[in-house]
Amino acid sequence: MTGRSGLDERIGDVYLTADELRARVRELGDEIAHDYAGREPLLVGTLKACIPFIADLSMAMPIAHHLDFVALAGYGHAQLGGHEQIRLLKDLDREIAGRDVVLVDEVVDTGLTLHYLTRTFRLRSPGSLVCAALFDRPYRRLVDDLPIRYVGFTVPDEFFAGYGFDVDERWRNLPDLHLVRRF
Amino acid sequence: MLLETPIFQAYRGEATPRFVNEAELEYAKLLDYYGVPWMYEPHTFVLERDEDGRVTEAFTPDFYLPEQDLYLEVTVMKQSLVTRKNRKLRKLRALYPDVRIKLFYERDFARLAARYGLQQAS
Repeated sequence: MTGRSGLDERIGDVYLTADELRARVRELGDEIAHDYAGREPLLVGTLKACIPFIADLSMAMPIAHHLDFVALAGYGHAQLGGHEQIRLLKDLDREIAGRDVVLVDEVVDTGLTLHYLTRTFRLRSPGSLVCAALFDRPYRRLVDDLPIRYVGFTVPDEFFAGYGFDVDERWRNLPDLHLVRRF
Repeated sequence: MLLETPIFQAYRGEATPRFVNEAELEYAKLLDYYGVPWMYEPHTFVLERDEDGRVTEAFTPDFYLPEQDLYLEVTVMKQSLVTRKNRKLRKLRALYPDVRIKLFYERDFARLAARYGLQQAS
């Protein structure tokens, strides 16, 4: 399914340009750097969608900080029947007890993933735990008690591709954020 | 239609939940997968009584999330048919202002189904 431009025909109009994204991420980086001045926060990205965001955010933070990543088994891969539960496919490489942890998530939607990570990490006694989300899509939040402190954009209830978002695992590399057409 | 009754891990009720439609079952599976403790129809809120004190109108939300102190009501009715449910919800909020409840419409389920690959009723 490839259009004349070489892109998947489902890739629609640009919703946010790379420049708009980077400008906002720089602002978030400044804000986080200000809030954590004198400390060394640990940014924890949730693979894979967060990669462009956490890379830009990290470069926008003029303070010392560390990076780590987790990967989760998504619901789409679960066997139906409710017998499975979410689990970490890749855990953190380091201890977080006493650390200032900033979960870096591309988008918060139902909040279920962030809820799981928050619950899991709180058991490890971090010094503090907050979330920086590039996009907030609050229309179908199933859980509420989420430590979302930084939000880049509140976006409409659309599907996106580019800047980390995929369509069938492709097009994460597009620098702009595109709307996805659904056929 | 007989719906499957999975073995749930985050279910906090006692009796086996008997879902009335596929959407309720799918919401339950989703909550369960992510380890969010949930209960199915644990409370009924009285909305109206007659002169003799008999209950004439009540509302039982589908899910209760005890850790969130949050009720979820799931409807698979088309948007044009949810007026009655919306009215009940407004009444509940007026009578029980401390109760936190969210209503999820058919379109919400369709979106979640697309995002999570949920089973949609045919």
